[in-house]
Amino acid sequence: MKSYKDYMLFDKLPQTWCAGCSHGIVLQSIAAVMAELDVDKHDMALVSGIGCFGRVDDYLDINCMHVTHGRALAAATGVALGNPNLHVLCTMGDGDGTTIGGNHLIHAARRNINVTAIISNNYNYGQTGGQYSATTPTHSITQTSPYGHIEDNFDICKLAIAAGASYVGRATAYNPVMIRKLIKEGMQVKGFSLIEVMSACPTHYGKFNKLGEAARMLKLMNEQSVTVAQAAKMSPEELKGKLVVGVLKNEPRDDYYTEYARIIEAQRIE
Amino acid sequence: MGKTVKKFMEGNDAMVAGAIAAGARFFAGYPISPSSEVAKGAAKELPRHGGIYIQMEDELSSMAALCGASLAGKKAFTATSGPGFSLMQENLGLAVMSELPCVVYDVQRSGPSTGAATKPAQGDLMQAKYGTHGDHSIIALAPSSVQDCYDLSITAFNLAEKYRTPVIFLADEVIGHLRATVSIREPEPGEIINRKAPAPGTTQKDFRPYDYSGNMPAPMVGVGDRNLLMRTTGSTHDEKGEFRPTPENIDRVTHYLMSKIEDHVDDITITREYKMEDADTVLISFGCSVRSSMSAVDLLRKEGVKAGMLELVTVWPMPEKQIRKALQQAKNVVVVELNMGQLAGEVRKYNDYGCNVIQANRTDGVLITPKQVVDALKGGMK
Amino acid sequence: MKKEIVLSGVGGQGVVSVGEVMGLAASLYEEGLNATMSASYGSEARGTFTKTDVIISDGAIGYPNIESPDIILCLAQVAYDRYVDAFRDDTLVFYDNEEVTPREGAKGEHIGFPYRSEAIKLGSIQSANFVALGTMSKKTGLLKPEGCMKAIADRFAGKKKVIESNQKALQRGLEL
Repeated sequence: MKSYKDYMLFDKLPQTWCAGCSHGIVLQSIAAVMAELDVDKHDMALVSGIGCFGRVDDYLDINCMHVTHGRALAAATGVALGNPNLHVLCTMGDGDGTTIGGNHLIHAARRNINVTAIISNNYNYGQTGGQYSATTPTHSITQTSPYGHIEDNFDICKLAIAAGASYVGRATAYNPVMIRKLIKEGMQVKGFSLIEVMSACPTHYGKFNKLGEAARMLKLMNEQSVTVAQAAKMSPEELKGKLVVGVLKNEPRDDYYTEYARIIEAQRIE
Repeated sequence: MGKTVKKFMEGNDAMVAGAIAAGARFFAGYPISPSSEVAKGAAKELPRHGGIYIQMEDELSSMAALCGASLAGKKAFTATSGPGFSLMQENLGLAVMSELPCVVYDVQRSGPSTGAATKPAQGDLMQAKYGTHGDHSIIALAPSSVQDCYDLSITAFNLAEKYRTPVIFLADEVIGHLRATVSIREPEPGEIINRKAPAPGTTQKDFRPYDYSGNMPAPMVGVGDRNLLMRTTGSTHDEKGEFRPTPENIDRVTHYLMSKIEDHVDDITITREYKMEDADTVLISFGCSVRSSMSAVDLLRKEGVKAGMLELVTVWPMPEKQIRKALQQAKNVVVVELNMGQLAGEVRKYNDYGCNVIQANRTDGVLITPKQVVDALKGGMK
Repeated sequence: MKKEIVLSGVGGQGVVSVGEVMGLAASLYEEGLNATMSASYGSEARGTFTKTDVIISDGAIGYPNIESPDIILCLAQVAYDRYVDAFRDDTLVFYDNEEVTPREGAKGEHIGFPYRSEAIKLGSIQSANFVALGTMSKKTGLLKPEGCMKAIADRFAGKKKVIESNQKALQRGLEL
């Protein structure tokens, strides 16, 4: 029986993230799922971008490609099509994955590229000091919204569902068991899967918005959580400010490569 | 000798044929004139050879996808022009830093911005080398014929694989859309260079996907190799591909990225000479302007001027030795190009010989005529 | 040997197709000949001036554009008017004598045929361009008729009817 430790690089610890940061919980969950699935490291490729969560590759003992800010999914598209036998994970923060990289996100979902995207959403750009991103809740305070954020924020899961992802799920960092379940199911889906993990950034977002220490932030997001079944019985008014967690979409269809392989099959001359 | 067939084909189509002959099996791109026929050809031909075409959402992602496919072991290419080439600069830097071989076809058009969309220009010479930020060197080849579009494509992929670097194929609208008689010769297996793999039996403990001790890239494996894990990053890294932003390492990596190209300039340089033996008037040119220069040499010879031409096929690294030789040999050198003098500036850098350097430029979206080249010479002659 | 040939007309008359067929015929079905062809891009909408420059040579071809043609085909008045000042005394000017009125005193040897009418008689107005190619091939001896026939089959591979009607038009031109 393998353990998450078999997929990690312990000589790199302690991790770079701040005390109380949720990214470590997601890292451990990724390693744990690989152990549960007993995958060969050589079949695993992880593509990450720039940002706090982009550093997740530093601690994993698998194939890793660390790319430019926002382009992780585009690079992952190349990896997944370049070698269709791989399990490709793509780890991004909310800035990387949905703000600078938002266009790549919707197109990767639409094309149904065989990639499991894991977005650790802590509502702000932590690495550069806590500026607002496309997921920063309206009215909240960040380094660059000192008078309150006036923009509406993306719901990452709704975006992915609408764009055509095969599998979409959300969990909070309060609940690593659910994170593991969703990543595991996502990896087993052939096609584009997206798992959003609600994460705490006590150093910046938490401090700016007086949310207290990390434990309190995690407790808060758990209080905001409602399951898909519960949400189904709630009115839009009641759902305001809530986080719907669990499997939000599971409708696998043939991924890009499977479709393209049919063209190759039909046209091949060499 | 490989099988040879004669064809009458367009430059952009010959680029696709050359890329596939070189072993390219992945294309990611975004349509843009005057390079779109490359995308069209790649979409049609790649699946016939077991390869993959994907049209991305923009040129940022196209170049990123190229990096990903290259890391997965594929020979990968894209084609673009002007505005698209500008967008590709971001991840061209990623390919440089991560040492991921690939070929970027830039079918140059007039600019800046949208410019005159389908009109030829050669204004990307500097961008090809200096477009992405940070110090590095790069390889760029400029075709002056449809035959070059095929033959040099094979050279471009070979250089990309040998030096683990992106190679810019600096074409232009004139050559991309020109149709001409070409010999399509299937390369022998021995003519195709593939990236160096680690010695058999290399263990993960000993495997180093990067090597900064010398001036040649380390062997690499494609992601998915059964024995070795691969690690790359656009961040300054050590031999294992792990982030290491120490002053010593940053300096070492920067010097290496320069020297792995610049130290091999003799291997990378391709130039051609036309009637140079007794020339005291030398035209220096690249790409489509070579064709006008060649005809200008013929016109000048008819007038009794001892004219010759030096064609720079490799434009980066700049063929310093050959340019210096021309400057030493000639009284007058005319630099012929469809821009305001990007190559002329480079030629002047090497002019330690008091040679009279004249510019023949045309920037109205039309190929410079042989007569205009002759007139530029006469106007600037000493 | 080097011949510079301008094929001109208006969009839809198929001057680019004729250029491609000439290039194919020279490249594939003649011994030791090279060809280049540069089309004018961006002006190929129906009804507007369009031209293509074809150079056929037994040596290397440098500058691919033509300033003063050895041979020119003018299928429309607008094309003729555009080029008439570039004619030399020895320029062979092939023109549609029902569509184009030559300028009095113009240089060049003018050779007129009713290309469009001949094509209509053959049942395909579209193939006036290949009737013209037939007359140019016969008069100049530059490209062998058999080579042009084969090149038409190459250019329109897979389109049997188009090949037949264009080959018929070429044959008609050879007989005029």
